[in-house]
Amino acid sequence: MNLIAKTTLLYLFVASLVFGAGGVVAYVLVQQEVQKETDFALYDNMLQLTEELADSIPLYILKRGKVDIYDLGSEVRDTFYQFSDTLAPHPYREGQMEPFRKISAVQLVNGRYYKISITDVIIETDDIYDVVVKIMLRLFIILGLAMIVFSFIITRLLFRPFQKTLSQIRAFRLKESDPLRLPNTSTKEFRQLHVFLEEMTAKAKRDYLAMKEFSENASHEIQTPLAIAQGKLELLMETPNLSDEQLQLTEAIQQSIARLSKLGKALLLLTKIDNQEFSPQKPIDFSQIGQSCLDNFSELADLKGLRMHVQIEPNVLLAVNPVLADVLVSNLLKNAIRYNEPNGWIELELNQYHLLVRNPGKEPSVPTERLFDRFQKSQPTYGSLGLGLAIVKKIAEASGMKVNYIFNSGIHQLQVVFPSAKA
Amino acid sequence: MKILVVEDEKELAENIRAYLSRSDMICEAAFDFAEAQDKLLSFEYDIVLLDIMLPDGNGLHLLRLLKQLQPETGVLIVSAKNALDDKVKGLELGADDYLTKPFHLPELNARLNAIFRRRKFQGHKMLEFGDLHVNTDTHDVLVKGQPLVLTVKEYELLLFFISNKNRPLTKQIIAEHLWGDHVDFLDSFDFVYQHIKNLRKKITAAGGADYIKTIYGLGYKFSED
Repeated sequence: MNLIAKTTLLYLFVASLVFGAGGVVAYVLVQQEVQKETDFALYDNMLQLTEELADSIPLYILKRGKVDIYDLGSEVRDTFYQFSDTLAPHPYREGQMEPFRKISAVQLVNGRYYKISITDVIIETDDIYDVVVKIMLRLFIILGLAMIVFSFIITRLLFRPFQKTLSQIRAFRLKESDPLRLPNTSTKEFRQLHVFLEEMTAKAKRDYLAMKEFSENASHEIQTPLAIAQGKLELLMETPNLSDEQLQLTEAIQQSIARLSKLGKALLLLTKIDNQEFSPQKPIDFSQIGQSCLDNFSELADLKGLRMHVQIEPNVLLAVNPVLADVLVSNLLKNAIRYNEPNGWIELELNQYHLLVRNPGKEPSVPTERLFDRFQKSQPTYGSLGLGLAIVKKIAEASGMKVNYIFNSGIHQLQVVFPSAKA
Repeated sequence: MKILVVEDEKELAENIRAYLSRSDMICEAAFDFAEAQDKLLSFEYDIVLLDIMLPDGNGLHLLRLLKQLQPETGVLIVSAKNALDDKVKGLELGADDYLTKPFHLPELNARLNAIFRRRKFQGHKMLEFGDLHVNTDTHDVLVKGQPLVLTVKEYELLLFFISNKNRPLTKQIIAEHLWGDHVDFLDSFDFVYQHIKNLRKKITAAGGADYIKTIYGLGYKFSED
């Protein structure tokens, strides 16, 4: 439900409460006013009757339909008058009783006391109630209709710039170069919102670019000093008469440097994929890439005594960057070789639907869903960077593929599901 | 062999110069585009080692210039970027090979030797080492005149050893030469060991001397003594 509809409903709800209370107030006020006016008229009649009595008009003339006069004689009594409600037969409708207002009084006129009572029809409370409810209900309906029309106008006119803003924000991408440009509007709040949004997105863009540049440069720049250090060590290694211990130390340093360098390269690759520097390409023959990766690794698998069971369907076309495709398959094969059992096997299946790599191995010590996180190693080996599967996942995400991993009864199974060729 | 190293990183250029000068190579260094241009206009080189990311001009321009001035000179491109584009462009413009930073100096040495062989001898170069004769064109290996049957990797390994004779080579350097980025260290050391074992066995079985010396804890050295 949108804001305007909610406001309208809330408004109507409050209005219904107000109208309810207003109805009660109106009812009470009208009833009081009616009674006051009736009493006033009755009292007026009483005074007139008393005057007429004083003018010695005979009682039978004065005793009209609604008037009763009794001569009480000259014995001293209290004079008073009082109002009361009473029921009397309806003047026209037989057998139906109706509420009346009655004034009864004892008056002293020309030395004699008279008991006078006058009744008059009053407007029934039911009638008042009906009228009040009717009025309130109609007002409420008119108000409701007005509100609906009003909200429609607001949505259409006042909120149009807001809708545009929303759709533009939705289309906004941090990675694209265009800054967010919002339409001009005469509404002050929207103008403020636009200024705020434009500033915020521009800042986010600047920060993002700076971050992107930094992580690329950092992983890049790190390679030069590493290359220098590595070269110096190789020169050092050639110095004659180095002891075994000195040579071993040099070798250990070299290994650490190589590791650092590989780490930098892997992080650089992740950053580049993140920064979408590998544009999606024309469909390439994935089968061919799979086969060439396999050729690269078959010797290594051989050296480890692993049997290969390969099923590659020819001509699997996929719109993937060829560099990334190569890294993807290579990383999977590398893992399958590394986390295998002695004299184990590797099963590789590639078809239109998926790429499946299965191999026996030890159960990973890390929960399966965390295996794809950076620096998660299933078994602590010094040779591994812990970035292989993170890269696989990134590449899959960037290419519209899905990766899932299952470990079941001693077998690792990694599946890369391709985006359906038809879709 | 006369080599020009075009590299803006002075320390790196110095490393290369120092390393290559220990073998029979004459090595000069140029630190920027202008200096490299001057040198190319004045002297002839067998091979130019070219960093394509120079601060004052793209190295690819220098490559074009070089191909006009000295078409006979071999070119080995070096880049910190692992960018496929640069590699393809460089090779299209006539570079002989491509190396990504950081690289091992023995690897550089082996590549330079390979380029030199191809350029100067059109590949028909017989490499000789002790009882071994290697025809780098036909990939035939003879031990005391007897042919030796080697696998592709064993042949590559032997060539790498001969190019870097009398130099200590770590298992890591050998592994990266044989498999590039495809291997990670721990496993690859075993693989290197297996290949070395096989190569050694084949050479000695054919009556050759055991040239592959193990340096304990470090790696190997190919030498006659």
